[in-house]
Amino acid sequence: MTDPLLDVRDLTVDYQAERGDVRAVDHVSLSVAPGEFVGVVGESGCGKSTMLFAIAQLLSAPAVLVEGSVSFTGRDMVRLTEVELRHMRWRDYAVVMQSAMNALNPMKSVAAQFSDAIRAHARMTTREIRERSAEVLRLVGIDPAHLDSYPHQLSGGMRQRAMIAMALLFTPQLVLMDEPTSALDVVAQRALMRQIKELQEQLGFAVIFVTHDMSVVSHYSDRVMVMYAGQTAEVGATRRMFAKPLHPYTRGLMDAFPSIRGARRALTGIPGSPPDLAHPPSGCRFMPRCPDAMPECVTRSPEMYQVDGAEVRCFLYEGPAEETA
Amino acid sequence: MVESTTPTAAATDPEAGEPLLRTVALTRHFRLGGFRSKRLLHAVDDLSMTIGEREIVAVVGESGSGKTTVARLLTMIYPPTRGTIFYRGRAVDKLRSRRDILWYRGEVPLVFQDPYSAMNPVFRVSHGVMRSLKLHRPELDRAGRQREAERVFETVGLSPDMLAKFPYEMSGGQRQRVGFAQALAVQPRLILADEPVSMLDVSIRAGILNMMARLREQEGVSILYITHDIASARYVADRIIVMYGGHQVEVGAAERVLAAPRHPYTQLLLSAVPDPREEATVVTADSGEPPRVINPSDGCRFAPRCPLAVATCASVTPSLSPMGPGHEAACHVAAEDVQNHRPVQLAFSSPPPPGAARSTTRPSPETAGPPGRAPVG
Repeated sequence: MTDPLLDVRDLTVDYQAERGDVRAVDHVSLSVAPGEFVGVVGESGCGKSTMLFAIAQLLSAPAVLVEGSVSFTGRDMVRLTEVELRHMRWRDYAVVMQSAMNALNPMKSVAAQFSDAIRAHARMTTREIRERSAEVLRLVGIDPAHLDSYPHQLSGGMRQRAMIAMALLFTPQLVLMDEPTSALDVVAQRALMRQIKELQEQLGFAVIFVTHDMSVVSHYSDRVMVMYAGQTAEVGATRRMFAKPLHPYTRGLMDAFPSIRGARRALTGIPGSPPDLAHPPSGCRFMPRCPDAMPECVTRSPEMYQVDGAEVRCFLYEGPAEETA
Repeated sequence: MVESTTPTAAATDPEAGEPLLRTVALTRHFRLGGFRSKRLLHAVDDLSMTIGEREIVAVVGESGSGKTTVARLLTMIYPPTRGTIFYRGRAVDKLRSRRDILWYRGEVPLVFQDPYSAMNPVFRVSHGVMRSLKLHRPELDRAGRQREAERVFETVGLSPDMLAKFPYEMSGGQRQRVGFAQALAVQPRLILADEPVSMLDVSIRAGILNMMARLREQEGVSILYITHDIASARYVADRIIVMYGGHQVEVGAAERVLAAPRHPYTQLLLSAVPDPREEATVVTADSGEPPRVINPSDGCRFAPRCPLAVATCASVTPSLSPMGPGHEAACHVAAEDVQNHRPVQLAFSSPPPPGAARSTTRPSPETAGPPGRAPVG
């Protein structure tokens, strides 16, 4: 792999609570190459959004980044000051939030919101701003006539597109997306995913795409990272993972949604619910829900093991293969 | 079925052959803007559908297709602009007395989309169940209500001691089960489930869908399952109604509609479902933009997005026409194709299922229909 654009090492985030700290992200490492599309998948409460916010340096109390480094274009973002970060935000990396309805200001037109973002990070004339805003709207397939529309005048899909257009104002190298499609229906969802993929190929930015629905990223991401209870469960190339999921949790996620093709078969989902992260179970965190649990899963915590180019945190794959550092 | 609290309906016994619920040209328009505004949003137009005993019917459509309005019309939250709902042969808009309305609402309860806001956070989850029981089952005493609450909790897969929990102590899936328990407590005949799994994690959706199938088996209820996810509709439903822009565009047995979709919108919906088990599907140029439903003119509402549209589509609203046994679609092009015995034209294609040629008019044999019906979880 070439030099990674983003290199996250042992990222650890605690939510500080009265009854004790809750470790939402526990020593997660992830590297993203320039132009790569990485999907991050997991259930609610697995730490995937918290990880995204930690990478973007957007955590606020009670969440605290207690350990780890986030190296982005060679700089450790964790050590940067707020002023230094402000120069990078929007220009070098941008975040697309989950709910465009809440992320856009309902009182301001699209043009005014774009202009705010541009003025905060660059010096441009009003006309240049207008031109750039129209240009990014066209990129995401919205008629620039909508620049003077207010968020409520746009459909859900258009609002999400406008959010993405805003993230592209400065053509950043990395776009972090937190479930941008989960409020959309399947047709709009697919149209948006395709749009993101096309833009990404055209403009060359890297994407980290957080979702709870594995099928969303199945055709668009290069690699997928599956998170469970604050830890990485499995990381690997997308096609390989869907062809041959390694971790029992990944298999569970894949068997959770019905197919529209082929024979209709009963689905089981994943029984039980994720553990309370204030008191994570000893040993493997997935053990209480795992169909393949073994005695040693109770006593020891699995590391990440390497299997055919993928990494997986499960004792099934401990053995002759060498351990990762 | 045990008949207990059906005072007036039992007397006027419904005619034989009358489905459990039937709507005739059900229409609901909303006036936008002020009292004098001329802008009318056509949420539902001329919907005629039926739901049979012990039947699970899915209403599938994108946001803005009018599917939630259908649920709200059926629960009497909105009065219809036109059209009638017949429940067991009785016109619902003719129900006047509190007793009759209570009877209808008890027989046809609604389960909400968002289990996080559907419950009062300051009460224990037993509160809602107990209140429904008190209101709809006056014959039960306190101990009877407790017993019944425990029974419905067990039926939906919750342990009875969860009755004492507060909503915040439960996961989304558990709360949605409470929603179904509440509906079940009033001895319903038809549960309206408005997107019951869309707010839940993918990993627990299957559990709720399996529970719905089990409710039908064990409790004998019918379910109207409203969803935008056609794959989950296929999983639980016997019949599927596809809605687009307030119009019913296709209806038929679930397997049949999926195997031989006749309306281009149904084909688009099917092609949009990502199937991770396969390589990427064929790319279509559709942008997913919603139809115009404010003061719409005549014509097919899907026509602007439809690659097969002909001149008629822009001027004449298509009505449902037969496409096969129990299968209807509202499409001029498909209707003509059927009349002339031409094969189905695919506006939006998805990869054919292995071993089956999809682009023929020949329907998949009904015997290949639901093999694993009613999976029990």
